[in-house]
Amino acid sequence: MNEVIKINNITKSYGNVLAVNDLSFKVKKGELFSFLGINGAGKSTTIKIIVGELFPDHGEIKVCGKDIRTDEDEIKRKIGVVFQDSLLDKTLSVYDNLKYRAALYGITGEEFKERYKRLSKIFSLEDICNRKVNTLSGGQRRRVDIARALIHNPEILILDEPTTGLDPGTRNSIWKIINNLRKKENLTVFLTTHYMEEADDSDYIVILDKGHVIGEGSPLELKNKYAKDMVIIYNVKEEDIKKLKMTYHKIRNGFKIEVNSISIVTDLIVKHKDIFKDYEVIKGRMDDVFLSATGYELEEK
Amino acid sequence: MKTFIYLIKRNIKVYFNDKGLFFTSLITPLILLVLYATFLANIFEDSFVSIFKDISISESTITALVSGQLISSLLAVSCVTVAFSSNMLMANDRITGAINDINVTPVKRSYINLSYFLATFISTLIVSISALVLCLIYTSVRGYTYSLGDTLYLIWDVIILTLFGSSLSSIINYFLKTQGGVSGVGTIVSAGYGFICGAYMPISSFSKTLQKILSFLPGTYGTSLLRNHALNPILKTIKYLPSSVLKEIKDGLDCNIYFFDNIISIKVMYLTLIITIIICILIYLFVSNKGRNRK
Ligand SMILES: Nc1ncnc2c1ncn2[C@@H]1O[C@H](COP(=O)(O)OP(=O)(O)O)[C@@H](O)[C@H]1O
Ligand SMILES: [Mg+2]
Repeated sequence: MNEVIKINNITKSYGNVLAVNDLSFKVKKGELFSFLGINGAGKSTTIKIIVGELFPDHGEIKVCGKDIRTDEDEIKRKIGVVFQDSLLDKTLSVYDNLKYRAALYGITGEEFKERYKRLSKIFSLEDICNRKVNTLSGGQRRRVDIARALIHNPEILILDEPTTGLDPGTRNSIWKIINNLRKKENLTVFLTTHYMEEADDSDYIVILDKGHVIGEGSPLELKNKYAKDMVIIYNVKEEDIKKLKMTYHKIRNGFKIEVNSISIVTDLIVKHKDIFKDYEVIKGRMDDVFLSATGYELEEK
Repeated sequence: MKTFIYLIKRNIKVYFNDKGLFFTSLITPLILLVLYATFLANIFEDSFVSIFKDISISESTITALVSGQLISSLLAVSCVTVAFSSNMLMANDRITGAINDINVTPVKRSYINLSYFLATFISTLIVSISALVLCLIYTSVRGYTYSLGDTLYLIWDVIILTLFGSSLSSIINYFLKTQGGVSGVGTIVSAGYGFICGAYMPISSFSKTLQKILSFLPGTYGTSLLRNHALNPILKTIKYLPSSVLKEIKDGLDCNIYFFDNIISIKVMYLTLIITIIICILIYLFVSNKGRNRK
């Protein structure tokens, strides 16, 4: 049982709006799976379908081999989800929120106290446990959201844009926690984001556009396929660069050459050692992958 | 079962912690108090004085009757309007999305639906019984103390009327999906219910047509039960009261409610309310359990 989530040809419309269009992908156990797409691509809708909040119009979803229509309870105990907008009870304290949510999974009394203690340590909730949720900062609230999603020890953690709107420091600390959990608990993490550098650490990426997969693979595969690598050569004369017989762009104190694969650069260096005195080779970035796969400009850039 | 109790506790706690929800639910009772303090008390007192002009009656009895009218009005509106406000939690959870966070847990939908009804009942009962205690203290201070038996009747009436408010609001609030809907229904209920249940002006002072329409509304009987149990004990203390005058007074105070010219007995009032409550709960559970739309 290696595939914890398996989605086959699902389609979902809201009235006339086709939100998810013949979507298929698989998530493997223990991996960090990233789901990329601009706003409105259908990421949140897909998550709602996985957790059973919506049924697809067509297609099939299996979570750990089970179908939500027949094994709803079992699936719900395996999944912890952090929705895009925090859905905690704003007027209740952090502790009460976790207590009442835990009880919905049948976790009460001593059992709850133990879990609370553990999560409180991981997410540093000691100082804020009696604060009402509506008094917390964005980063604190996100920590509580994730703690709530893990309250019943799920095997799969689904995070819908967990770090959107947080400052870089807070984003880092949240990522540290998630990575630790993955290592220690062999947690499968399903993530949607539009911060491309976060996707860079994933094991597998699916790029979604208009409800449909337009690219997938490991970050390396995607970069090789969609992002051009480049080499920048410094302190050379233009007539030397011409000898390379490649298209080049002049930049401040050198020349930039885009290549489809790193091996081309290797060949060039071997053949023209004299030209390559001062240079750097830059792998394509996830941003470029996203841009060339979707044809969109990134919003927050 | 434990899960279910925690779910109810969560609903109650969110209601009492949500200042918006909690204080809006107290608006109608507060308006009523202000109206009494400013002019309703005087109007009622004057009308009692004129009714009793040929009968010797003590000042304190009139004061007791006016207080009795106040407390029965207050309880009649609170039980229903507080129930509506507190049950807005169901709509709020849907608007804020909190319900989605509950729906991803393995709790059965029918439990979630029932928890809103029960939480509303308990929250409203806490508010209404507190109001009743304050009312009894108030009447005592004003010089009339209800016997234990009469107090039990009042408690029973409050429970029945709270059940009525909780079950009716469950059906209506179930259909609210937007903030606009919530404020709309909230405003209509808090402004309108005090009027149609006869808390501001006795139903007997309304036009004949309106009276006929109101006699079809079970809430009317709730008011009347409270009127009977708050006022009858005081009326009984008046000696040498001709039965024709007593009937006139009871008609005027809504202790007597007519359904096509027949006086409705207390028993029938209870029966009507209880049947209404049972029907409302069944409708609510049926509609809400069927109504989950995942399509
Ligand atoms: N409840 C809804 N009713 C109607 N349309 C919706 C609803 N939720 C989402 N949509 C539409 O479906 C599409 C996909 O939305 P969503 O899944 O939220 O995308 P994402 O999470 O990738 O931003 C969008 O065009 C959005 O406007
Ligand atoms: Mg989204």
